[in-house]
Amino acid sequence: MQEFLMFETPLWPRILQLLEYNPAEPLTLTTGFFLVAFMLFGLVYTLVKGRARLRTLYVVLVSLYFYYKLSGVYILLLLFVAISDYLIGRCVGGRREKGSGTAWFVALSVVINVAILVYFKATNFFVDVVNNLYGSGTLDIESVVVPAGVSFFVFQSIAYVVDIARGTIAPLRRFSDYLFLLSFFPKMFLGPLVKAKDFIPQIEAEKVVVTREDFGRAISLIVGGLVKYAIIAKAVGTLFVSPAFAGELGDSGLVALVAIYGFTLQIYCDFSGYSDIAQGVALVMGFRLPDNFNAPYHSATITEFWRRWHISLSTWLKDYLYISLGGNRKGAFRTYFNLVITMFLGGLWHGVGMTFILWGLLHGVALALHKVWLSIVPKAKAVGADMKPLWRVLGTLFTFHIVAFGWLLFTAEDMGVVESMLSRIAYNFSFGDFGAMVESSWVALLLMVVGYLMHLTSRNFDETLRRVVVRVGVVGQWLLVVAVIWLVMQSNLMLEAATGVAGGLPMYAAF
Amino acid sequence: MKQRECSHRIGWFTMLVILGVAALWFVPEVELFGMQLARVDIFSELRQNADDEVVEYEADIERLEQELASMVEVDSVVMVDTLPVLPPARYEWLVERETVAPRRVLHSSDLEAVANRLSVAIEDFDTLEHSRLDNLVERLALGQGLRIAFMGDSFVEGDILTSDLRAELQELFGGRGVGFVACDIPFATVRKSVKRNSSGWSAYSVMKPKSAPQDVADKFFVSGYLAKGGVGATTRWNSTTAFETLDSCTRARVLLYSKDTSLVRVAINDSVVNEVEVAGDDRVREIYVEAPLIEALTITVLDGEVLCYGASMEGDCGVTVDNFSVRSNNGHAIFGTGATVNRQIDEFLGYDLVVLQYGLNIMQQGQRKYTNYRQQLCNMIAYAERCFPNAVILVLGVSDRWVKGESGGYVPIGSVDALTAHQRAAADSTNVAFWNTSLAMEALGGMPQFVSNGWAANDYTHINFAGGKRIARALASAIVTPVYETLKAKEDEEQRRKEAEERLRAEVQQRFELQSQRGIEIAVEQEIIHAEVEETVSDVVAEEE
Repeated sequence: MQEFLMFETPLWPRILQLLEYNPAEPLTLTTGFFLVAFMLFGLVYTLVKGRARLRTLYVVLVSLYFYYKLSGVYILLLLFVAISDYLIGRCVGGRREKGSGTAWFVALSVVINVAILVYFKATNFFVDVVNNLYGSGTLDIESVVVPAGVSFFVFQSIAYVVDIARGTIAPLRRFSDYLFLLSFFPKMFLGPLVKAKDFIPQIEAEKVVVTREDFGRAISLIVGGLVKYAIIAKAVGTLFVSPAFAGELGDSGLVALVAIYGFTLQIYCDFSGYSDIAQGVALVMGFRLPDNFNAPYHSATITEFWRRWHISLSTWLKDYLYISLGGNRKGAFRTYFNLVITMFLGGLWHGVGMTFILWGLLHGVALALHKVWLSIVPKAKAVGADMKPLWRVLGTLFTFHIVAFGWLLFTAEDMGVVESMLSRIAYNFSFGDFGAMVESSWVALLLMVVGYLMHLTSRNFDETLRRVVVRVGVVGQWLLVVAVIWLVMQSNLMLEAATGVAGGLPMYAAF
Repeated sequence: MKQRECSHRIGWFTMLVILGVAALWFVPEVELFGMQLARVDIFSELRQNADDEVVEYEADIERLEQELASMVEVDSVVMVDTLPVLPPARYEWLVERETVAPRRVLHSSDLEAVANRLSVAIEDFDTLEHSRLDNLVERLALGQGLRIAFMGDSFVEGDILTSDLRAELQELFGGRGVGFVACDIPFATVRKSVKRNSSGWSAYSVMKPKSAPQDVADKFFVSGYLAKGGVGATTRWNSTTAFETLDSCTRARVLLYSKDTSLVRVAINDSVVNEVEVAGDDRVREIYVEAPLIEALTITVLDGEVLCYGASMEGDCGVTVDNFSVRSNNGHAIFGTGATVNRQIDEFLGYDLVVLQYGLNIMQQGQRKYTNYRQQLCNMIAYAERCFPNAVILVLGVSDRWVKGESGGYVPIGSVDALTAHQRAAADSTNVAFWNTSLAMEALGGMPQFVSNGWAANDYTHINFAGGKRIARALASAIVTPVYETLKAKEDEEQRRKEAEERLRAEVQQRFELQSQRGIEIAVEQEIIHAEVEETVSDVVAEEE
């Protein structure tokens, strides 16, 4: 007990230090800091939640603080984007009412936002290329740090202006409401992107309503998300996938293949787990964020995959990029071209590099080929639900492997890694390595099996979990959350002991 | 039915969660399904943190000399018969066993792969013609093994770097076990190279001597941590299999201090138990155990009160590497350790090599003047030399470090080379050995490469196990290369000698054969002559007849 009460003396300087922006300890929804901050936030939120304007102002201020804690001075960038698109949105809305053209204003917004994105995403790459070509030091520019979540608020902001121009929504009257849409803290770091049309009514609603069902669902989302994000993805990645990719587990082809399956699970658990947590946190506050994933590896076709994977981004790409390019209204060839170019840009967005470009092209070409297939084989179906069971199983396995080998491109540092992994699988594959692999990495492999089983039964699993969590009541929910947090902390400590590194960010934080 | 509105739950539900998680601090650190549960602490960021309250020790070599002199006197007094005999310093408990691992016979081919690694060499500033390092290299070449005290800061915390150095050297030169592990320390850590469960102790750190009672504060060993425990205090050290050579130990030592008589129970593998009555004395004592197989070692205080430093698990011969990492220590904490304590423990353990890895915490961006630190480092070296008189001192240069620049990107801290130069100068002026860590890291691509390879944390300062492994491989190569060269030279010499001998032998043989050939020829000639004579004689006889 005495040891438990041993805190720093005096405590205040340390607390003030913790409140400051610290690049070494970024704020994510799974930190102890966030837990304590959220408690304090919640105590006041209870008082203001019934009054829309006060609530909005309060949540905006807290969100801005969280963004400062996450990204420091880049809060100015967030404010700049908010102000510029709020004003542009109002102009666009005004001109629409008068019936005059809005194209120039939309273009202005797009140019500003894309310029921001390109600056932060491509500068480092460009400097590297020039310095490699003309000798180091030709461009003496320090490497640029990408502000957290910049893609998400930039995309959100473009969508807002385009929506106004298309007449889907009316421009927001209050700046604070727009700032809320842009900066709402559960989704600030990794999305999901929300549709302004669905989200604005929630901001403007006089009262927030969280039913007991909602609360239970939120807890089940947070708990399930924590297990996926903080235990399965982290452990599988740290204990198996990273060392296997680095060649530290030997050059067995079996290990390489299982590592690709491992990464396929890891990226899903990491990203969807974090999205679930964000959804859950928003839901206890009474805000509904859209689903970002829908059991993506159940997809029987590549088209279906993109309807189930990172739904908010693929919807955004479809609504604001693919459709703006002309979508499927300009003939078959343009449709295929638009698909490929959309996915190519989607790949480029993840990072300027050969591997991401190839990844984007792979998916673009696969989507186009699937469209061709659908048009020449009349019996072919677009989604698994319409297929006969055998076809569906075969389709699912086929799609899964395309996606999995796509992830190999996605995660490999350079093409050398891709080559080495593929040649290991092609030339050094033996089931005889199975025993040795299980012996050396059984914890990670066991978690992989658990993760895939959870995903295989995900409809039932999520539903059952939700029902159980709602039924056990608030005491049961409390015990469950505490138990899962304890598991997460144990797993973190074990991983730290195994690798010497603590914590880490969600993988998608890099984009 | 009207649904109840639950959004008011946010605050108090989260508060209950926090309280619940905080209470988990009290969950015991037990083992479950072979996995060690660690203590979870949601307030870890608010705990007393050595970073903020760094104690400044002053080097006091004079006091050190006096202390050591008085220690020698005590020892010499023992020899006089008229004085009461001192209680033993070492309690031995030898469990019967059949075989003792033999000393390894080394061949240069065993070391060739490691020695041929591209690496930065150790610079030896010893002015003796046959330096202490040369001596050490020779002993290693003879297979005599080596005990290393690796003193460092958070850079090697958790056995980063040292665990791989140990594994590699034990692989080459023999030896088993994790070496010295503290009895208890005042904050939670995890080490994959050893499991330790301790309870009932009050643990103190040399970095916070003010929080330690007076009778503890002057008895720190360079390990940096000391645990004080009364009846019931217990610690269990358990070997792991995280590295090949960690298990199957055959020797163990417990280092403790017992001012008044105390009773300590020692258990091997939770089955073989012995009780040791430690007579009260003002010296550090060792309980020394030998057994066929030591997987786990447990000590429990049954009576009295002891200060326990820790325990060491080892093999019969070969290499032992002790990790003495103390967070935020710039090296000056050695001045806060007891000189006689260090010397006494050195007499038990016999260090051959003392590594000083410091400096990461004192670097400031762009600063290039470290004259004061250099002076301090010289004092540290002097202190270490006096405490470990038979050891070679090896100063490691500071590691590569990058910091956030004004525009947000990471830039070199700009003081690594300067501090490294000062550290080398300190080694030079005190005639000890030096190894340039940042140069070795640069050869591996430097800090940005470490971060992008996942070998270092995103703070561009702390390496992780994967990074430690790379540096350990480079350092091992630097240690092994001269041994390899010595062996190679010896073997070449041997080979030349053998060849010469063979040549000589062949020559002798040839000469002998020549001679004997001539002998045969003579014999044949003689025989022919004989035959001819006989023939002539018989002819003559026949003619006469």
